[in-house]
Amino acid sequence: MAYQLYRNTTLGNSLQESLDELIQSQQITPQLALQVLLQFDKAINSALAQRVRNRVNFRGSLNTYRFCDNVWTFVLNDVEFREVTELIKVDKVKIVACDGKSKYSSNYCESKATSNLVFCWCLFV
Amino acid sequence: MANSANTNTVPKLYRSVIEDVINDVRDIFLDDGVDEQVLMELKTLWENKLMQSRAVDGFHSEEQQLLLQVQQQHQPQQQQHHHHHHHQQAQPQQTVPQQAQTQQVLIPASQQAAAPQVIVPDSKLIQHMNASNMSAAATAATLALPAGVTPVQQILTNSGQLLQVVRAANGAQYIFQPQQSVVLQQQVIPQMQPGGVQAPVIQQVLAPLPGGISPQTGVIIQPQQILFTGNKTQVIPTTVATPTPAQAQITATGQQQPQAQPAQQQAPLVLQVDGTGDTSSEEDEDEEEDYDDDEEEDKEKDGAEDGQVEEIHRSKNKWKFHLKDGIMNLNGRDYIFSKAIGDAEW
Repeated sequence: MAYQLYRNTTLGNSLQESLDELIQSQQITPQLALQVLLQFDKAINSALAQRVRNRVNFRGSLNTYRFCDNVWTFVLNDVEFREVTELIKVDKVKIVACDGKSKYSSNYCESKATSNLVFCWCLFV
Repeated sequence: MANSANTNTVPKLYRSVIEDVINDVRDIFLDDGVDEQVLMELKTLWENKLMQSRAVDGFHSEEQQLLLQVQQQHQPQQQQHHHHHHHQQAQPQQTVPQQAQTQQVLIPASQQAAAPQVIVPDSKLIQHMNASNMSAAATAATLALPAGVTPVQQILTNSGQLLQVVRAANGAQYIFQPQQSVVLQQQVIPQMQPGGVQAPVIQQVLAPLPGGISPQTGVIIQPQQILFTGNKTQVIPTTVATPTPAQAQITATGQQQPQAQPAQQQAPLVLQVDGTGDTSSEEDEDEEEDYDDDEEEDKEKDGAEDGQVEEIHRSKNKWKFHLKDGIMNLNGRDYIFSKAIGDAEW
């Protein structure tokens, strides 16, 4: 099962909104919308894995970190993103990243998976 | 050129994802007994929202893609033969600027300069008509369009009649033909080559339209049904024309009544516009999914990044991030990476 991580992107959100509209006007069922989203997950995961080939570097200061259910969430401040062609600066960025090695979620906020760091600290911003 | 790498790849990638998803769910839609038209509507809604969000530069919806493709076919000719065959190219070069000018109408909002006398009820969709490209009749017809409809582009059919493609607030697109025949001078829009395919289809559509309609009105046809639904040349619009002068509101009553109709594009057409645009609700869906990952609600305006972790490393308070396959939204714009490496101090 592909990560549902990308549903909260521009592409994913616009799809969800469109599906919502169709459900609202009763042109499709919620079940069908779910199927579409699952298909979207597969498509976006495979597209990113296969069709994208570029690299980005970034640097900033880490404000908060969280690791729960195999998902990392970071908030960084004063970040510079550097691609070959351009430099992008933001004051604040939130990074949500799934553990790429393990595709299974755990029910606990502790993980034996990839690292020795086991955090369940929720430092709220 | 800065941004060139990113602005080229992101729209293409999004477009390919959209195509993949739409094609993959077509079967699911049919299994569920849902009409292909709904699938097309989903696609249109999706593309429009992406355009409206302006997170992606140069993201075009499908008919604009076609037109741009045709335009690009001419441009390489111009570039390659730039220094040679100058005389031979003189005439195409003359028409290309005209076409380019005409095509400017078709370029999406991000590149379009504001033009006067156009209704823009949807402020985010800034598709304007160049005043110079519109005759008074077309202008009047445009102004007469009901609220919620924004003209997108003009298409000259083979017979020289002017069709306007308009986009209603709900995202559906229509072709609108103002009744007075409008002839633009020698602006043979290049898409009439593929329009040789379009025109007869439009004729077929116009044929069964209701006759006896007041000649003051125009017809709006949903072009995506005409042009883009594979083998279907039959239009199944969801709304029916009510024969009133230009500012008609429509009642949706199913299919159009086929009636006697003089052939070709001279047929009087009926103004047909969907009602007020759909609104989308904010309610949450009850979806059964087991989340592999936690979707955080993102309130950051600055930036958000979704990706996968290759490695996270920490040494005292120095963090190193190795991420892969991510989509970023920074300062409102979308970026994509296959690898991202970062450093931060906590």
